[in-house]
Amino acid sequence: MLKSRFDVRAQPGFGLITLFTFFALYLPIGALVVYSFNGAESLSRWDGFSTRWFVVAWQNAAVQDAAMRSLVIASWAAFLASVAATMAALATTRTAPYRGLTFKYALINQPLMVPEIVTAVALLIVFSRIKVWTGYSGLGYLIVAHTAFCIPFAYLPIRARLESMDLTLERAAADLYATPWKTFWHVTLPLLRPAIIAGFMLAFVISLDDVVITEFVKSGGQDTLPTYMLGQLRRETSPEINAIATVFLALSTALVVVFFFINRRKQ
Amino acid sequence: MDQTQVKSANGGAIGMRAIQKWFGTFQAVNDVTLDIRSNEFFTLLGPSGCGKTTLLRMIAGFELPTEGQVLLDGKDISSLRPNQRPVNTVFQNYALFPHLTVAENIGFGLKMLGTPKSKIDGVVKEMLKLVHLEGRGDNAVTQLSGGQQQRVALARALAPQPKVLLLDEPLSALDLKLRKSMQMELKRLQLETGITFVFVTHDQEEALTMSDRIAVMSTGTVRQVGTPWDIYDRPAERFVADFIGETNFLEADVVSVSGNKARVRLSSGAEIPATFPTDLTPSGKVTIVVRPEHAQVSAPSPASLLQGVIHEVVYLGTDTHLHIRLDDGTTFMVRQQNARSGHSGFSKDDTVGIGFSDDVAQILRD
Amino acid sequence: MNGAQQAALAARKKDTRSRWLLSTPALLIIFFAAVGPLLVMLLYSFMAKGDYGDVRFGEFSLEGWTSVLFQRDIFDDTLGFADAHLSIIWRSIQLSFFTTILTLILGFPTAYFIATRPPHTREIWVFLVTIPFWTNLLIRTFAMQQVIRHEGMLNNALIWLGIIKQPLQIMYTDTANLLGMTYVYLPLMVLPLYASIEKLDFRLVEAGYDLYATRFQVLRRVVIPLVKPGLIAGSILVFIPSLGAYVIPRVLGGGKNMMLGNLIEMQFGSGRNWPLGAAMSITLMALVMVALIFYVRNASRGGTGHA
Repeated sequence: MLKSRFDVRAQPGFGLITLFTFFALYLPIGALVVYSFNGAESLSRWDGFSTRWFVVAWQNAAVQDAAMRSLVIASWAAFLASVAATMAALATTRTAPYRGLTFKYALINQPLMVPEIVTAVALLIVFSRIKVWTGYSGLGYLIVAHTAFCIPFAYLPIRARLESMDLTLERAAADLYATPWKTFWHVTLPLLRPAIIAGFMLAFVISLDDVVITEFVKSGGQDTLPTYMLGQLRRETSPEINAIATVFLALSTALVVVFFFINRRKQ
Repeated sequence: MDQTQVKSANGGAIGMRAIQKWFGTFQAVNDVTLDIRSNEFFTLLGPSGCGKTTLLRMIAGFELPTEGQVLLDGKDISSLRPNQRPVNTVFQNYALFPHLTVAENIGFGLKMLGTPKSKIDGVVKEMLKLVHLEGRGDNAVTQLSGGQQQRVALARALAPQPKVLLLDEPLSALDLKLRKSMQMELKRLQLETGITFVFVTHDQEEALTMSDRIAVMSTGTVRQVGTPWDIYDRPAERFVADFIGETNFLEADVVSVSGNKARVRLSSGAEIPATFPTDLTPSGKVTIVVRPEHAQVSAPSPASLLQGVIHEVVYLGTDTHLHIRLDDGTTFMVRQQNARSGHSGFSKDDTVGIGFSDDVAQILRD
Repeated sequence: MNGAQQAALAARKKDTRSRWLLSTPALLIIFFAAVGPLLVMLLYSFMAKGDYGDVRFGEFSLEGWTSVLFQRDIFDDTLGFADAHLSIIWRSIQLSFFTTILTLILGFPTAYFIATRPPHTREIWVFLVTIPFWTNLLIRTFAMQQVIRHEGMLNNALIWLGIIKQPLQIMYTDTANLLGMTYVYLPLMVLPLYASIEKLDFRLVEAGYDLYATRFQVLRRVVIPLVKPGLIAGSILVFIPSLGAYVIPRVLGGGKNMMLGNLIEMQFGSGRNWPLGAAMSITLMALVMVALIFYVRNASRGGTGHA
């Protein structure tokens, strides 16, 4: 019996290349995770399964410090970015084009168009001068910098949700004598909530992940987890780094999966 | 050179032998054996889902039969891929390449075959002339109207001079007037090029207009193959009689059979001659069909074959349809041409007699 | 204008005003911490460099800009080409180009394959491609480092297979940068390509086969021209970040195989030449803008063949 049909879509060899690609994509991070359970001292040999490096990392004061700082910055940045992005989305969607709309849109998405290293050194220049003038060198610079590049990421899902939202509900509210503020609070906001949460999570992950801008903006001793790891990579690597990386990986994967399912549910 | 000689050099003959096609648990084609002759305009006619498109795609090579063979000029091509078969298709949605110009579309097949550019240019020019699109070679296909796109699709399929041209309901997207003119165009093209055309449609009028022969299909089987006259005047089955045009069904009893003619008795008692499909030996109770335009209405008389009361008169400009309730309760429709302007001569509730000539009654196989 | 029109106009004005009010926080933050600093950096590029880094504030100089491409001979003060800079810039462009090619070679078949899977499984494939993408850049770079190290997986595998006797030195070479960038930016090529191929009307591919095209010809003459927007989008999405790569060359390239990003960093570190760093950053941004404009131009052309 012959094949059922002539498959117009098939191309020879593509399946193999795809397999190789997925293999190549997952092998390095797979190996990284596996090696974080390596009992040996260095990464050169395998010495039995062990979780000691997770314990070592957990107890490492520098790691704790960096992790804490990462979380604090990410929380603030994601929060501020979500608020700003929500307001900006309300301002730029569901309207006929008006003067300045394209300008605003470009400005909001600017961090996506400029290479990180460029923004990083620009911030370095500005903040170092401000440090000289004011003497302040706390977390504020990092939080502001992170908020700035988080805004476009929070903006995207909120804007998308707003565009696809049905105006009639809000019109109905207005019809029932609700003031614009009440309409917003009781109708728009609840409907928007999943998108805002999605935006927050996105911004949170983006902020956690950032290394370039943080590296240039931070003052001494203000390591976040990624910059700590970057520093450690200069030396002889031990599975401790692997362990930290694995935890990081697990965290971001979990967040992405949650994000994926929230998106799915919205449909 | 003799026209017939030129023609037989072009068209391929298609044979389908005991074709079965299953899509999972769904049987799309059930034991089809068919012969399409060289140089003919052959139509696959049937309602949607009858398997006609599947059959067409099997000739093209996009579907492979689950069982059975597809032959071209006697050779089994079942295992050949579409790009190996000298068969081209005019797709229902035209499938013109939007990133190529009209000329590039038309020349595509020849280019894939490695024909030198100068020859391609010549053929493209000829094709443009053939489908009345001279000078449009450099246009983008998106700039053309539906009818023009259709002609480009046609030219593109004809340019590589295939042995067989397949047309998958190509006229369905056109408006009525354009459709009618394209029907004549297609007929002319087939006669000029001599290429075997296999045409798929659900429009029976279209099929009757253009075809040399028609295969009427339903639920995956071929019900009847024949010339338009065969199909219309001598339907072999109830489905064919019902699908093509309008028909009257009458119950009758076979009185006698001699040669290829039979005599049957109608419910009114009248006896009439009837024809029957060659593979049938009629006996006992049968159903006969009479086309509405083959019957005449008159004042009731003993010579009338049937008698009844008109319960509806429908005026249609060119014809009048008289719906008559017969004595035995069944309905019979007579179509009268309005040869003279005005009233047909009969009104509702008139009692009338129905007559028809000796050669219009046909016995069905069912 | 009658009363109704005036009221409508007033309402429109109020609406526009409240929209501007709403967008203020976002615009302010971005201006202060993203756009504004770029303008300041532009200013700095025209200042004289300070002795211990930073600048002599307010002092105008073009040295920053000339030092991007030229250098002064220390003996006779003539201007010659700054070979080190030029080679680094050229290496960045080359590496970005080759990264784009590599991601195309791997990414196109992958995107095509995924796009031609049955509809309900496609989502899963895409999700699987996206997961590495969401992983931290540093972690992915680190993972790649583990693979290409002296005692890393790649060398171990090659020795085990008998292909080589001694481990290859891949770390701290251009190849390391290339492999790292290809690995990190591959999903960026796959996703837009997938989006484009998914919309392809495969009836056109059928028509291609009907007209005697081979599988390769169909790919070349029908599929690829019709997914050009995806090809361009993917290429740009890979080329631009590659140009500005910093972490990857820092971790994998070491000090000897700097890309533009590392060269820029150096000016703010040991190089103590802020104006030069600023000028180089702006040069990088200009290169990116050129690539973006090229993309926008080409994205509006083509893009047909969608069902």
